[in-house]
Amino acid sequence: MTLPIIGFAGMSHLGLISAVAAAEKGFDTICYDPDSQQIAKLARNELSIVEPDLYELLEKNQSRIKFSEDLQELTTCDLVYIAVDVPTDDLAQSDLKPINSLVSQVDANLGSDAVMVILSQVPPGFTREHLRNGRQIYCQVETLIFGQAIARALYPERTIVGCAEPSNSLPQAFAQFLDSFGCPILPMRYESAELAKISINMCLVASVSVANTLAELCENIGADWSEIVPALKLDKRIGQYAYLAPGLGISGGNLERDLATVCNLADQNGTDSGVVRAWVANSHHRRDWVLRTLHQGTLSKVDDPVITVLGLAYKQDTNSTKNSPSIALLENLTPFQVRVFDPVVPASAAPNPRCHAAESEYEACDGSDVLVVMTPWAQFKQLDLLKVAKRMRDPVILDPYGVFQAKACRDAGLSYHTLGVPAE
Amino acid sequence: MIIHTNQEPTKPPRAVLLGATGFIGAAIQQQLNSAAITTVALGSADINLLDSAASDRLGEILRPDDSVVVLAALTPDKGRDIATLMKNLAMMQTVCAALEKSGCGHLVYFSSDAIYGTEVSQVTEETPVAAQDLYGTMHYTREIMARSLAAVPVLVLRPTVVYGRDDTHNSYGPNRFRKAAQTDGKITLFGGGEETRDHIHVDDVAALTIRCLLHRSTGMLNVATGVSTSFYEVAETISKQFGGGVEVITTPRANPITHRHYDPTNLIKAFPDFSFISLKDGIARVHEGSANTL
Repeated sequence: MTLPIIGFAGMSHLGLISAVAAAEKGFDTICYDPDSQQIAKLARNELSIVEPDLYELLEKNQSRIKFSEDLQELTTCDLVYIAVDVPTDDLAQSDLKPINSLVSQVDANLGSDAVMVILSQVPPGFTREHLRNGRQIYCQVETLIFGQAIARALYPERTIVGCAEPSNSLPQAFAQFLDSFGCPILPMRYESAELAKISINMCLVASVSVANTLAELCENIGADWSEIVPALKLDKRIGQYAYLAPGLGISGGNLERDLATVCNLADQNGTDSGVVRAWVANSHHRRDWVLRTLHQGTLSKVDDPVITVLGLAYKQDTNSTKNSPSIALLENLTPFQVRVFDPVVPASAAPNPRCHAAESEYEACDGSDVLVVMTPWAQFKQLDLLKVAKRMRDPVILDPYGVFQAKACRDAGLSYHTLGVPAE
Repeated sequence: MIIHTNQEPTKPPRAVLLGATGFIGAAIQQQLNSAAITTVALGSADINLLDSAASDRLGEILRPDDSVVVLAALTPDKGRDIATLMKNLAMMQTVCAALEKSGCGHLVYFSSDAIYGTEVSQVTEETPVAAQDLYGTMHYTREIMARSLAAVPVLVLRPTVVYGRDDTHNSYGPNRFRKAAQTDGKITLFGGGEETRDHIHVDDVAALTIRCLLHRSTGMLNVATGVSTSFYEVAETISKQFGGGVEVITTPRANPITHRHYDPTNLIKAFPDFSFISLKDGIARVHEGSANTL
């Protein structure tokens, strides 16, 4: 049987990852983006995003991936994914103009039997609004995780497909492509699929909010959240993969978008969204844990302190700084000297006039009064803590994500502070 | 959340204090003097804001580039009734009428944490206003009156429980405890004194006000330390200042325990290097400045 040709419109993070996964599954793919510079870079395997295994798979599947700025290339496709990232503003509201425009352009360039699938992050109601006579259109839920995007794209737990009529069979090309991923396919009405994506994220936010709320309590009553988490994960109602690691609030952009969407829909429909707004408030509160702790221990006590910040990305294994807690922290440290290091994000991303771009983690610690680990990059775990302590003026570590072991820090003479554990 | 109009601290041409002879006003005046900021300090003896001619008189005093700090108010110890509410609103009406004529470069209005509901245990600047008495209602109304002034940059400060040596009020907390310790040799608590509150020293309130004037900050800010202490701990700390000879007496509880904590994040963002006087040090400072013999 001939394999269908898969098109991807929009070479954003989502589009590129999805296209590489399709090629890895053996499908010829055509990747369209109107940005000719972006297309030229991708054709040379030059990547502007960081994801484990992405470069290797792109190189390996080069023969099956064609990058193009020509929309008409998509006419040969049997199935085309609309995979452009939907931008959000400072209030996490989606700007749908670019995707609306892209859908119209792609639709006009597809063969009559070709299937269009909306993969982008769209609000409930979007796909039905784009139903057109004669065009087979579906939506598919992406559950991309920055830093694990390739693995998630290759081995999804399930595929959620939004359909005009869920009881009808999927078109052959679409079914053939989805079957290659070997996971359950869940067809449902458009609105259900669009809300399923949001529902997944709400469950994750709920778990994280529980973790953050109780971790803060632990910090104040002598309990240790890291001791409690294993007990929760062994409870079948909670589960071993539950998001129970405390953090610095919600970041990255996508979860915030979904929170805003739920609040907007609730406002429009008169349903209760009090708990969602409470999650948002809790996220804002926890984001500033580092600032409050820094103020208490250093900023209010040391004259012109030097602060080391390791990590600028919003999480490890990505170069995205969207809503990054590190960037948010640095915005509030403008009066102070900061020494910054991130393995992939340049120090120029730090909004601080007194920022020193360090060439290494160790150099960043020179003469510092406090070390703050704002992104849990794996390479930070390998640091020689004795060496770190020796280079610092005052050996204090704020490690919200628990990159280091408390005992190892203490042994190295470092005063250690992390989430979910009372301060020493 | 407040916004600094002046990124670098800049002395205002002149500061005008309304309510300068009060507990907080006097502390601010002292720090304005220390900072060599030209100050016009007005108390009720200088200008009675309830007087029918007060608006015109104040208008003549004010200049368009003044930084005006409004502390003048009849506090709850002067009355909690409707008449007091109306007088307080009339005083603010006078101030607003004068400011409408003269304009000003910066208006700092001193409100109160009484605008928040007593059931709220964790307060931020986002906490909804839910005044439960006329005093809280008065302050919130006066905040709105201040914000209604056209072309006047307004900062609202909402202080928590303020204590200090020269406090003339006798509200439950450090001031009353110290007076009781000094005069009676004992401190009597409601229940076991379990309730926690955020106590801020008046010198910190004054120092933060000066910073806001220098930065010409606008918006709204809770003025609190972020550290809440139980009344029992406060009483014990004061008792120790007197050599431990002061008895702390608990009584059967008549009312449910309520707690009040402040999230100081916005204050830290506004003034990241600000260092609060700890309650222990603040109580010691009050003690040293007073005649404290049993």
